[in-house]
Amino acid sequence: MGHLSQDEFFTALTSLFNDRKASAHGSIFLTQKRLSYDQPKEEPSESNPFPDLNPSDPLPVIIRATNGKSKEKRNRKVKLSTIVKPEELEGFYARYAECCKAGMAALKPRDRTKRKAKEKARRKKGGAVSAQ
Amino acid sequence: MPYYAKSEDWLHQSSLLLQARPATTRITTRYSIKPARRVPKTDDTAAEPAAQVVKPPRGHLVITTFDPESGVNLKYKTSKAAEVTRLVQMLATLGRKMAAVPEPAAAADGDETMADALALAPGAQEGGSSEERRSGTATPVPQQQQQQPQAGGGGGGGGGGGGGKGKKKKGKR
Repeated sequence: MGHLSQDEFFTALTSLFNDRKASAHGSIFLTQKRLSYDQPKEEPSESNPFPDLNPSDPLPVIIRATNGKSKEKRNRKVKLSTIVKPEELEGFYARYAECCKAGMAALKPRDRTKRKAKEKARRKKGGAVSAQ
Repeated sequence: MPYYAKSEDWLHQSSLLLQARPATTRITTRYSIKPARRVPKTDDTAAEPAAQVVKPPRGHLVITTFDPESGVNLKYKTSKAAEVTRLVQMLATLGRKMAAVPEPAAAADGDETMADALALAPGAQEGGSSEERRSGTATPVPQQQQQQPQAGGGGGGGGGGGGGKGKKKKGKR
């Protein structure tokens, strides 16, 4: 599959996360890397011996997402990718954060149960003490 | 390669790695769900299966910076939903480095000083306080909320002492 536009990517990523929500196991892999494939390459020069380290222009970043299915499950593999231009990074990450936050629902929410349990235990303890 | 205990440390080391090898380094975020396996501690066996069914699957997040050329692999692991936004912010910071976009001046300065401060006093600071400082601009309210459970935890620890006090008082009476 070719690279998706940002809108398509987020739609597909959301549905990828929603698929996960339905089942009790599985993974989603999100990767980001500087896009170096098929890009104009700067040649090292006297003044700039490592063009990778000091590129004259900002470079795009490629974001990939997959559900990590391989081998016999390969037919169910979902692979998404999008290319984010340097000037779009800010807006992209804002939406990315939203999408991830909404999608990663199985993470621990801010845990109040532990505190409650502790309080309960304390109260119980207190009760036991006063009973003695 | 080991996991970093603090996401700040991971961010710092990752940015150093990106500085050295911006073209080959990639950052992978793995979000995985596993069914909850822990058997709840209860005396009556009848309630146990019901409790197990109710328990939702537990997810966790592993974030990895890997450079195939040098083989460096930096990891951070969490299972807290509260950290997702902050981690994506870090991804954005590192993404800007990948793209070789100059940092917004103010944010860059802030990051630098914070990173320096963290490097200066890594052991002295509590995780909660540094967290609060880091994302103070972004989500101050949730961070404060996050601190409350910690304080509550501390209170719980001290609560035993408090209970002891109460006991003594009662004894005096």
